[in-house]
Amino acid sequence: MTDTLNLILEPLKAVFRQFMDFLPNLLAMLVILILGIIAARLLRVLLVRFLKAVNFDAWADRMGVTAVLRKGDLWAKPSIAVGSIFFWLLIVVALMTGMSALKVPAIDQIVSQFFHYLPRVFSASVILAVGYVIAGFISRAVLITAVNSGYHYARLLAEAIRLLLTILILAMVLEELKVAPGIVLAAFSIVFGGIVIALAIAFGVGGIDAAKRMIERESADKPKGETKDDIEHL
Amino acid sequence: MSDFYQTGIITTLHQIGKSSLERIELELREFSKSRPIALVLPALYSEFEGPAMPGIVQELAKVKYLHEIVLVLDKASEKDFKGVREFMSPISTDLRIIHNDGKRVTEVYETLSRNGLDAGQRGKGRSAWLAYGYVLARAQSDVIALHDCDIVNYSREMLARLCYPVTNPNLDFVFCKGFYSRVTNKMHGRVTRLLVTPLIRSLQQLIGPHRFLIFLDSFRYALSGEFAMITDLARVNRIPWDWGLEVGSLAEVHRNYSHRRICQVDIAATYEHKHQELSAEDPEKGLMKMTIDICKSIFRTLASEGVIFSDGLFKSLSVSYLRSAEDTIMKYEADAAINGLEFDRHAEARAVEAFTRAIDQAAKVFMENPMGTPLIPNWNRVTSAIPGILDMLKKAVDEDNK
Repeated sequence: MTDTLNLILEPLKAVFRQFMDFLPNLLAMLVILILGIIAARLLRVLLVRFLKAVNFDAWADRMGVTAVLRKGDLWAKPSIAVGSIFFWLLIVVALMTGMSALKVPAIDQIVSQFFHYLPRVFSASVILAVGYVIAGFISRAVLITAVNSGYHYARLLAEAIRLLLTILILAMVLEELKVAPGIVLAAFSIVFGGIVIALAIAFGVGGIDAAKRMIERESADKPKGETKDDIEHL
Repeated sequence: MSDFYQTGIITTLHQIGKSSLERIELELREFSKSRPIALVLPALYSEFEGPAMPGIVQELAKVKYLHEIVLVLDKASEKDFKGVREFMSPISTDLRIIHNDGKRVTEVYETLSRNGLDAGQRGKGRSAWLAYGYVLARAQSDVIALHDCDIVNYSREMLARLCYPVTNPNLDFVFCKGFYSRVTNKMHGRVTRLLVTPLIRSLQQLIGPHRFLIFLDSFRYALSGEFAMITDLARVNRIPWDWGLEVGSLAEVHRNYSHRRICQVDIAATYEHKHQELSAEDPEKGLMKMTIDICKSIFRTLASEGVIFSDGLFKSLSVSYLRSAEDTIMKYEADAAINGLEFDRHAEARAVEAFTRAIDQAAKVFMENPMGTPLIPNWNRVTSAIPGILDMLKKAVDEDNK
């Protein structure tokens, strides 16, 4: 009877001992998490105040960042949105740090991978932000040039260039994040290459007559044995 | 109106003989294929609880030539907004309601505000301006028509006659103002009858013939809230957000377009809507506030065209106006007598006295701060400052209407 009881109690005691060993780690995790949440909230408030003080919202309006948020049906002020992103980033970092305090080998590995992945997220964000500004700038420059040249489809051309650049930037971002790099590369090559080939065929086939006329005009402008005058034209 | 006299320097389109609504609507359906029409309706939620709105909805439901209707709903909660959507459901035309107090539209106003673009205080001016922005953002209409939402005797003939001159491509008008007589058992429209016309004529007497004054005097009902215009005008015009809206809008039309392309049209034999209290003792309320805003708008426009105002001029103006307005009362008394209308001469005289005080008050405010009359920036300037603002506005309204 005693042996049977021991057979039941021993595993329970072992589990209890393990739990008691684990308890300080769990408490450490909770403390880190609570402190992380408090710090994240505090830093969010400070960041939002700083962004408001430097007129970040008005800058974001002029640069088109606000318009992008609105397209996604996000109606918070840009400073609040940045503050929220920063807050949740800190919460994730606090969670990962807290989980590492548990000293569980499997979790340690995940945490290590996460921290190694963070620089990639940062550089992908930079690529996205800079790429967005550059795409907007080039698209606008094309629009102004095309309008000034009297091109009928100026807006369409500008939007097409913006779309192509956006595809390029998104492919770069996904490549940086190492999200299915093989598929991203293949998809990008197919989409981008397809568009370029489509344009080449469209212009090539549609422009045969125009190209022929241009070549003929060029040839007709320079007849053989043309005599040059002695006057140097400015 | 039975005569065919052409008033002043703009074209007047009369109601001559028996009109044919069917013919006008048929032609409008044809014209609107190449010149789509947007109808803008600035409304307060309280107007949906009044007697006018059911009739307006009933009439608009029969109109087939409009491309879109943009209703700007002010002073309404989320629940009211839903109620109005339901209320407007009989109308088959593409209808968008701008919820002025909604979360998204409020954020659009805040975006403007933090970029130094003041859309002014809430009111008809700001609502109309925002609706123009939405029409521009959609880029689907070439003509914008606007009328109030408190017209008790509304008929769709008003709208058809209002839209016709600007929509008909053979007429080449860019702006068309509606006119009508505001008569029930007595004459209404005190501000137009007893303030605007005598004031304009007194100013002409004092400073001589002036193009803006001649232009303003050409309108039979300069303060009517009903007009149609080409969409480009909505892009370049700056409008006041206060009671100077009508006069300020006319000043901008005068500044930007040839008078040859501006007309007024007889849209109704009678027109009945809510009447403002005179509130003669309070310059911040009722007709007194309206009068002061209108006078400031006129003074400011004239000053911007080079007219020099002085204390002496304003003193003479008060006296000249009073004499002119008293003469006008006598004319209307005779008009009322022959038409069998009630006419309270004492009330009319009291209104003139109050308007005289309002002119003095407006002159004082103008002399202290000539730039004071507020104007909402035009959409060209707004889009230049915030390139994505029209997309933002369109998204806000479209999401609210989902």
